[in-house]
Amino acid sequence: MSLGAWLELLASGVITGSIYALVALGLNLQYGLMRILNIAHGEFLMLGAFVTWVAATHLGWSPLAMIPLSFALTFVLGLLIHRLWFKRLTDTSPNVDVFEARALMVCFGLMFLVQNFASWVWGGELRGYDYLTEPVHVGGAQFAANKLLVLVLSLLFAAALIVLLRTTLYGKGVRALMQSPTGAQLVGIDTGRLHPLMFGIGLGLSGVAGCLLSMTYTIAPAMGEPYTVTSLIVITLGGFGSMGGALAGGLLLGVVEAIGMHFTSPSLKSLLSYTVFIAVLLLRPNGLFHRKR
Amino acid sequence: MSPKQLLTRDLLVLFALTGWALSVPYYGSEFVVSMALTCLMYIALATSWSLFCGSTRYLSLATSAFFGIGAYTGALTIESQGWATAIVLGAAIATGVAVVMGALVLHLRGTYFAVLTFGMTELIRHAITYWEKQVTGTVGRVLTVVPERDTIYLTMLLIAVLAVATYIGLRRTRFGLALRGIGSDEQRAMTLGVDTRLIKIAGFALTAAFAGAAGAAMSVRWTYIDPTTVFNPFIGFQTVLIALIGGAATLWGPLIAAIVFSLLAETLRLELPQIYMMTLGLLLILSVLYLPGGLASLRWAMLKQWRDDIRAEWKTKRYEWSGEKARDKQRERERRVVL
Repeated sequence: MSLGAWLELLASGVITGSIYALVALGLNLQYGLMRILNIAHGEFLMLGAFVTWVAATHLGWSPLAMIPLSFALTFVLGLLIHRLWFKRLTDTSPNVDVFEARALMVCFGLMFLVQNFASWVWGGELRGYDYLTEPVHVGGAQFAANKLLVLVLSLLFAAALIVLLRTTLYGKGVRALMQSPTGAQLVGIDTGRLHPLMFGIGLGLSGVAGCLLSMTYTIAPAMGEPYTVTSLIVITLGGFGSMGGALAGGLLLGVVEAIGMHFTSPSLKSLLSYTVFIAVLLLRPNGLFHRKR
Repeated sequence: MSPKQLLTRDLLVLFALTGWALSVPYYGSEFVVSMALTCLMYIALATSWSLFCGSTRYLSLATSAFFGIGAYTGALTIESQGWATAIVLGAAIATGVAVVMGALVLHLRGTYFAVLTFGMTELIRHAITYWEKQVTGTVGRVLTVVPERDTIYLTMLLIAVLAVATYIGLRRTRFGLALRGIGSDEQRAMTLGVDTRLIKIAGFALTAAFAGAAGAAMSVRWTYIDPTTVFNPFIGFQTVLIALIGGAATLWGPLIAAIVFSLLAETLRLELPQIYMMTLGLLLILSVLYLPGGLASLRWAMLKQWRDDIRAEWKTKRYEWSGEKARDKQRERERRVVL
């Protein structure tokens, strides 16, 4: 293989990896902060992608303009879902374990609801639109301009979230809550305000990832589930609750997948990722998924 | 009711239901029989699921894996081994897989267990798809030897009745008590001398045996099977949904929910499949939120309590919105001034 071909392979891995990272960051925020293992996370990615597709094909809007809009839409949806269901669940559950099991079931219901809503409204077929498809040459390799745009933007958003969590007072509150929920509440951190906000931001990031994804790939109502599973793998790999770990894990998984698929066959892809997932969970069940108390 | 009376009642109800189900193929049309078959399949799946998962509160999402393994085994062996052996083999292989899987994952609780069983189901599905594509060079298999419709129906009925009877019987044994002990407090059960690991694996394997047998019996209905159909995660999800909405800790809850949902599914799915699935999702959310014990835990007192709650809520809201609250506050303030 030439240098250019290697570069293309690595870059395609990093591009999918950056989307993985963005989705996984949102999931990590939800699970790390609230113990909601949101199985429906990928469905909101699909929702973001479909809204962008509708705006781009029927209204003729630029997909770039849809980034803040799809964020806002999924953010508001997140607030609503939290207010309607998870708040009540938090209030009525006797302990964290019961809450976690119930939240998982609610998320399963949510998955059915959103996925079938999309296939009811938009139909089950693959869809897509063209946006910035002209090739760009970089050092002997060529990329589609839209893929580079996706890479830059998703890394930007991921970095923005991490910086926000590191520097602002809200971010400090979130990190404190992740370390010790009781301790954080004792020093006056308002979970009633932070939880819905972070749930919304998590879903919002998923919506943005969907918006970006629709610029380069075809979309379908069933597209969300693989991303949910992948982001579960990513947060398992990168360490639960660790934002930097999720970013690194996402990029790593993207590259490994791209190289693995190039040298074996594409039909092995899901087999490989599930094997990695189960192996990590079985060998390091508490180290990577479980919080130290 | 004393335990003895309870046993008699349950057995009588089961006996009556069985008799009714036996008569269905003699007067029912093709459509009715096929609907009854789906009902029986979900009764077997949901009852056997709640047998282990309902009492131990381990949330297993691996039903579709066992179902698929049973279906594949049945499809591969029916031509050479015959109908009865194919079903027994389907159940046996599913049990074997469950023992291995259980030994690997049953030390994990809660979300980890649920997610891992889901992951393993997907792994098995992808592995079989890959194996079919690469090794045997096919995508699916066509079944040429198919038994009579009534044979399939009676076999399914037998599996479903066995599942319910096992549930009724096991509830009273040491094994059933141990399972429920694990559900209420695993550490305490361990302290009291229950070999939790062995009990959990045995319970998990029992669930898998019924799911595998049901899969083997259903595979001949489709006449063409491929991994996407038989390992369809939806079968597993729907089983869990039925058991949870019906009330996973009860005997008749999952059974009634299985009948209701199979009928709903058959009638709604052809016309409005998405609406059906959305309803299912919403029902699951609502039942987790408002009826954690499932439909079987619904009582008149509970409905009355809800009505009273809503009325009280409405009363305070009306008090607030009519401006009466603000006026009352105003009056309070004026009174203070006078004094």
